Amino acid sequence: MTDTLAIHATDPFDPEALNAAVGLDPVDPAYVQVLRVATALNLIPLAIGASVFDYLLIRHIEGPYGLITALAWLIAITVIITFPSRRVSRWGYKIGDGQLRVARGWLFRTDTIVPFVRVQHIDVGQGPVERWFALSHLIVHTSGTHNSTVTLPGLPADLAAAMRETIRRHIQTDFA
Amino acid sequence: MSDTAAAAAAPPIDDDANWQRLHPATLALAIVKLGPRSLNFLPAVAALGFTGNWVYIVPAILAFLLFSLVAAWFHWLRFRFLVGDDEIVIESGVFSRQHRTIPFDRIQDVSIEQGLVSRALGIAKVGFETGAGGKENDGDLDAIGLDAAQALRATIRAHRSGEVAAPVAAHAPEAAAVAEDRLLFAMTPRQLLVAGLFNFSLAALAVVGAGMQFFDDLLPFDFNVFNPRDWIDLAGQYGLDQWVIAHRWIAGVGAGVSLLFIGFASGIATMFFANWDFRLTREPRTLRRTRGLTTRTDVAVPVKRVQAAILLTGWFRRLFGWHELRLQSLASDGEKERDHQVVPFARLDAIDPVLAEVAIARPDDGVRWQQSHNVIALGGLIGALGATTGGLVAVSFGQALGWFGPVIGVLIGAASLFGARFHRWTDMGDQIAIRRGWWKPRLTLLPHASVQSVDLKTDFVLRPLGLATLVFGVPGGSALATHEVPAIPLATAQELRHRILAAGLRR
Repeated sequence: MTDTLAIHATDPFDPEALNAAVGLDPVDPAYVQVLRVATALNLIPLAIGASVFDYLLIRHIEGPYGLITALAWLIAITVIITFPSRRVSRWGYKIGDGQLRVARGWLFRTDTIVPFVRVQHIDVGQGPVERWFALSHLIVHTSGTHNSTVTLPGLPADLAAAMRETIRRHIQTDFA
Repeated sequence: MSDTAAAAAAPPIDDDANWQRLHPATLALAIVKLGPRSLNFLPAVAALGFTGNWVYIVPAILAFLLFSLVAAWFHWLRFRFLVGDDEIVIESGVFSRQHRTIPFDRIQDVSIEQGLVSRALGIAKVGFETGAGGKENDGDLDAIGLDAAQALRATIRAHRSGEVAAPVAAHAPEAAAVAEDRLLFAMTPRQLLVAGLFNFSLAALAVVGAGMQFFDDLLPFDFNVFNPRDWIDLAGQYGLDQWVIAHRWIAGVGAGVSLLFIGFASGIATMFFANWDFRLTREPRTLRRTRGLTTRTDVAVPVKRVQAAILLTGWFRRLFGWHELRLQSLASDGEKERDHQVVPFARLDAIDPVLAEVAIARPDDGVRWQQSHNVIALGGLIGALGATTGGLVAVSFGQALGWFGPVIGVLIGAASLFGARFHRWTDMGDQIAIRRGWWKPRLTLLPHASVQSVDLKTDFVLRPLGLATLVFGVPGGSALATHEVPAIPLATAQELRHRILAAGLRR
């Protein structure tokens, strides 16, 4: 079918084309900064740890002092600068047609569809870093044990609230 | 004293007389349960012994027993329940009181369980499954008299089927309900024996073998069933040693026969203990299962809560047409199992009526199965490659045992390639059937209406091949596996996902 062709025609280094090809909306670009901060909070302690290890051990056994430190910081900074934008561009979502569709990842890509009538309850969450950039994440709970929570990050706070209202209306109409 | 305190703490209820306590024999049960628990006390005893304070050991043990009994007695004293017109109220807790109300409407099923001691005492543990998830959220009455338990279930069932709620003491509604119950499936001792023969298991062998090794020096006789030399020695005592040495195969046969005997005996024993007097009955809203030789359990599966059916068999028993049926429901079966085993061992013609009760059909013989791509064998092949290289490295270091690596590698690779051919699926209109496995073939029957969410997964292996894996989110969850259709063409996967979601929405 055409979808198969579209996937094959997609340049793997141009993820925006991937989302557009399967009709998904991208998440907010500001989410790049959120991910960047989160990545930095994870990696910088590791880099500091590597530096301390370098200072305490390698220098004493008269190994190539400085090599590990330099490598650790180089990798950390490269990852912090380049990876978040790539990861963000691989998130995609589509709301409407009675269902929520969330796609994520590239090496292991997962494309989830949750019909609104199957939603048990909805969370809209905001972490401190997300609040800084006026973003929220939406968590949809279903009663299935596999995939019982579907998370969609990187939404502008007002859009997340609007999406919650849309889904909530569908839950109500199902029971009415 | 606690009685007055409890009455003061409890919300005002017109007549206190309706409150009931657990059966007094529960205290006797508490003594039995002390046995395993006193193991915790062993280190303390050991410490007393090592420090030389031998005189204190007996008083310490007595104090421990007394303390435990008093604690059990307080628990019993502070636990009471009330069966109302449309709810059950449970009050428990010695220091922190808990007051729980469970409306009959919310009780999905009432299970009755009896251990060996409970049966001797004529009491049973009653569990209320509310589907709230987690053991903490459900109520237990551990334990009340068996007749009271059955009457209580009859009351709740009568309420749920819309009849007038009957008082707990009356037996009339139960008799009326039984009249419309229908026996769907039962296992006779003969069937159990056949099932046990197919249940051949060498798991017990490992235990026996390990025990033999461990207690070798302690056993009064110096004999190891797994050691051929011991058999020869035994023969020697009867003057047969020369003959046995000449015919060594006798020792081999002896070891083989004992292996077979242990395997069959443990298989039959586990089958008899678990499924003695197995009965599956259709009741107005539920399938009810009673079984067990020492521990008798009585579990009800609400028909409307059944999400999927799983048919299991083995490569050997399949040749004789034997299958096992499990139902996936919102509630879980006991603490360990996620699925309800409703038919442990039967031919398909006995299973079909049970499936019909939950409105799930088995695909016809003529149905066209679609196959998953052979790439699903990749994981096994990588494992085989790892085993082979590991073994060869060991050989290169002069370890002859390393030759096992390539042999096992070839076996793993062949098995995964062969097994991949058995991953099949078919869409039956309102339900999807997924078949997998060769060693233990498994057929999952999943109605479209049970599907809560659908994942379409691809990765760097599947994408270049134009393949995708569909994973279904189904309530209840299965211990056996997630429900998935692996490695099918992307277009097929997208179309199937669309169809399943559309069917779910139509409902």
